[in-house]
Formats: sequence, structure tokens, C-alpha cells
Amino acid sequence: MSITFLKLMHLADSAFPIGASSHSYGIETLATEGSLRAAELEAFLADLLWESGLVEALFARLAYRLASGNGTATHALQAVLPPWLQLNQMCAAMKGARESRNASATLGRRFLQTVAALEQDSTLQDLYQQTIDNAAGIHYCTAFGFVGGHLCLGEEETILAYLQQNTTGLISASLRLLPIGQGRAGEILWRLKTVIAAVAEASVPLDADRSANSVIGPNTSYSALAPLSLFTPLIELGSMRHPTLHTRLFIS
Amino acid sequence: MMTLLTDVTVPTALQQRTSGRLHLHFSQADAPSLRTKLVVTDQQPPLRVIRAFPMKDGSVLTHLHNISGGILGGDQLTLCACLGESTQVQLTSTGATRVYRHRENYQDAFQQTHFVIGKGALLEYLPDPLIPFAGARFQQQTRIELATGAGLFYWEVIAPGREAHDEIFAYDEVGLTLDIVAENSPIVIERMRLRPAQQSLTSLARMGDYRYFGTFYICKVGCAPAVWSALEQTLFTLAQQRTVPGEILWGVSTMPAHGMTVRALSMTNRAISDGFYLFWKDAKEKLYGKTAILPRKVY
Repeated sequence: MSITFLKLMHLADSAFPIGASSHSYGIETLATEGSLRAAELEAFLADLLWESGLVEALFARLAYRLASGNGTATHALQAVLPPWLQLNQMCAAMKGARESRNASATLGRRFLQTVAALEQDSTLQDLYQQTIDNAAGIHYCTAFGFVGGHLCLGEEETILAYLQQNTTGLISASLRLLPIGQGRAGEILWRLKTVIAAVAEASVPLDADRSANSVIGPNTSYSALAPLSLFTPLIELGSMRHPTLHTRLFIS
Repeated sequence: MMTLLTDVTVPTALQQRTSGRLHLHFSQADAPSLRTKLVVTDQQPPLRVIRAFPMKDGSVLTHLHNISGGILGGDQLTLCACLGESTQVQLTSTGATRVYRHRENYQDAFQQTHFVIGKGALLEYLPDPLIPFAGARFQQQTRIELATGAGLFYWEVIAPGREAHDEIFAYDEVGLTLDIVAENSPIVIERMRLRPAQQSLTSLARMGDYRYFGTFYICKVGCAPAVWSALEQTLFTLAQQRTVPGEILWGVSTMPAHGMTVRALSMTNRAISDGFYLFWKDAKEKLYGKTAILPRKVY
């Protein structure tokens, strides 16, 4: 238990070397143009958690179940690969803005590659390589969830940790863009924990059968998305319009 | 009967008002005409088409009528259009889609749309805006399947309500799902459940101060990524030129594959509609070398 807890803390640390601090996912555009002000940050992040946070939590959960439900010994990888690729395709299809989609795919790829190297885990290495060979994306939420399932870090703990570090990343980006201090940022993150917990709880797929293949098999894949709602056009436009900014601190 | 992957379970104890169906099949006439022709395989009111009008570029224009004048609580509507190989079809509505106030003891109004676009075919789906009235409850499911070489221009505008009646985000719920699948792989998945009373649409995470939301999907299966990068640059410039913060925001982005998305948030419908035409015109010229012809109707 103590080792798995420590591993999860490590993976969810904002200092984990995958480049997460280089992305604002469109927040930079909103902040630069004055649409998002410091006073509105907390409410904005809470609403964002209920939209894109919920979607990412669901994908992370599906990936967790895929890894833990099938086992990921090398002999099982061929069974895992098709639904894994499909899960990532679906995740990409839900991300309308190219910059944010690419950011997610870049972080996911680095995350899986880094953990595979840290663990010296041939299954994760093979999964990484075969995904790349299939010219498919590896999204951050799916990579995080899959690693959580593969390393048996606990489903709820993995989802909570993913949402926590994701929110921390957005607050960290906001710190550099808006006139807020470390103390205020910490208060916002502290209060958002109740939202994070509620979003994690809401991210359970509706399917009665909780096994991964029933959720993301070829005929039932879309039913897994039934509880979702993703309507974040302003931040999405912020991401689409990000290249128009004269000075950019962030890649996305 | 085509089936959709995305099924919504509606409580059966509630009443259903009407079950409208429209199944259209487009195929290509024999040489030398090669014109697209329409066969209506199923037509159940209130949905109706009159005919397919031939257009100068060889395509056909079909107006989709709802003879109820709008969508009422309990309506269950299905529209299926199957475009055979190399056909070219433009579908449009005859006016805004009005979704009336929900009636107690009736199911949510529900519209299911399924387009199957065959090899080398092109569908241009250019409806007027969706206007959900105060108290409206409406669920819309759309699935579009694209074969190799198939193309799509598809736009949709969601109004905040009847602005002239001061109905701004006064509807109960509008649920919109959309799946665009190219050669059996998803390239767009939308899941929107808009419930203004529960989740403020004026949140900065959603629409901010803007009232109208529009999306325009442009697809052509099999085009090289370089084509999309170049088109993105062209449309990006147009988006920058048309953006007036506080009035309208435009954004463009390539899809994971085979297409582009154009998004807009605006204070008016007119600004989105005018802009969509310009994006359509540029994209059709670049992808097909053809002129975009607006559907013949009263604007």
C-alpha cells in the first residue's frame, strides 16, 4: 500500500518531467484578452471541472479498467491494444481544438514513455511502441488511467489524483497569467477539492457491467459516453485562437 | 431501417405526440447525365420533402419541411439520408427549427438524424438555426458516416431562444450528440447537454457573454494532412479578420483526421450565418474547386 501510494504521489506531481507546465489549454488567450479575471478563476475552474474534467476522468477510468480488467502481461497486450487505440481515438475526437488535442497527446506519450522507463516495464514499453506504430495518439488522461490500472494504484485514487494534478496545472498556468499570489492559488485549489471529488464520483460509466471490454468494445463504445456533457466553447475558441496572440508564455 | 449507435432511453410511460420519418436515398443516374436523383423510401408527417431540385454544378437541392411548423413536446422525428457513390446533395430547412415549450406528460421532443455518405459523394447540410423556446426540452442525435473520398459541409447554429420575447436561455434542456465517423473511425464526437437553470451557460467555461453558438464541420476523407494544414491557415486568416471581441469570436482547427472544425460564439445569428458562408466558399473552392451556391430560399 505504501509503495503504491508513493508511486501515485510521484506520478501526479506537477514536477513529473513531461512538460505539463508548458500548456494553458486556451486559458492564456482568455487571460490575455481580459475575458478571464482573477476574481472569476475559481468559478471558471469549477465549471471546467464539470465539463472537460468529467470527460477526462471518464476516459482515465475506462483506461484504468482496461488495464486492470485484462491484466497487461505481454500475452494479453494484443487483446488490450484494439480497445486502447479506440479509446484514444474517441478521446481525440472529443477534443475540438488542435492545440489542446496535441498538448494532451504530447503529455500522454511522454507520460507513458517515462513510466515505462522508470518501471522498466516491457508491457508498457510494448504498448507505447505499438500505439506509435499504429500512428495513434496517446492522451494524457488515458495514459494516466492505464498506468494506474497496470500498477494497481486504486481506481478512485487514480482518478482523483489525475483531476487534482490537472487542476493544479491549470492554477499554476493562471498564476503566471493573472494577478494572483501563491496563497490565493492554494486557497482556490483547496476549495476545489470538493468539486474534484464530486466530478470523480460522477465519472463512473452507466454500464452495469463494469468490465473494461463491455464498456469500450466495438459495439458499446459510444454508450460509455452517455453520461457526458462537454460544452466549453469559449475556452475551446481560446485554444483555437491561441496562435493569434503576439506574445505567448505557453505552447497551448 | 438504419440504426444509430447512440441510443437514448426515453421513459415509455410518457406520451408520444407524433412519430415523423423521412428516409431519403440519393443515387447517380446512368451516363451520360450522371445527375443525382432522389428516391423517398419512407415519408411520415410532419416531415416531408417535395422534390430534389437540380443545380448548375450537377448536385441536387432538397428542402426538408416540417409541416407542423416546429417541433412539439412528444415529437419523435427520424431523418435518414443515404448518399450513393459520387452523388452530390444539398439539404436545407425551410426556416428556423422552432422547438416549442415542453408539454407535461409528454416525452422530450426527439430528433434522430443519420447520414450515410458513400464513396466520393458530397453532402452539404445547411439548416437554419435551432431556436429552443422557453421551457423547451429537446434531444437531438446525429450520426454521419463517411466512406472513402466522401465529403461533408455541415453547419449548425443554436440560438438562445426567442430574443424578441426576452427568452434568453429560458429552455429547460437541449441535448445534442453528434458522431462523425470516417472509414469506421470517429473523427468528431460531441456530447452537449445544455441545462441553463442547472449549469449557467454564461459561465466563462461555457459561452461567457455570447448568445449564439455555431459549428461548421468540413470533411473530405482521404485528403492529405498537408491539405488540411494549408486550409487551416487560410480559414484561420478569415477567422481573424471576422473576429470582433464582444460581438463574435471565430476559431478554426483541424480534426484528428479528414477535416476541419469552425466554431463561433456570437451576439447575433446573422454574424454567424454570414461568416459560415465565407468559410464554406473558401473551403469548397480549395477542396473541390467549385463555387458554394447558397440554397434557393427566402433569407
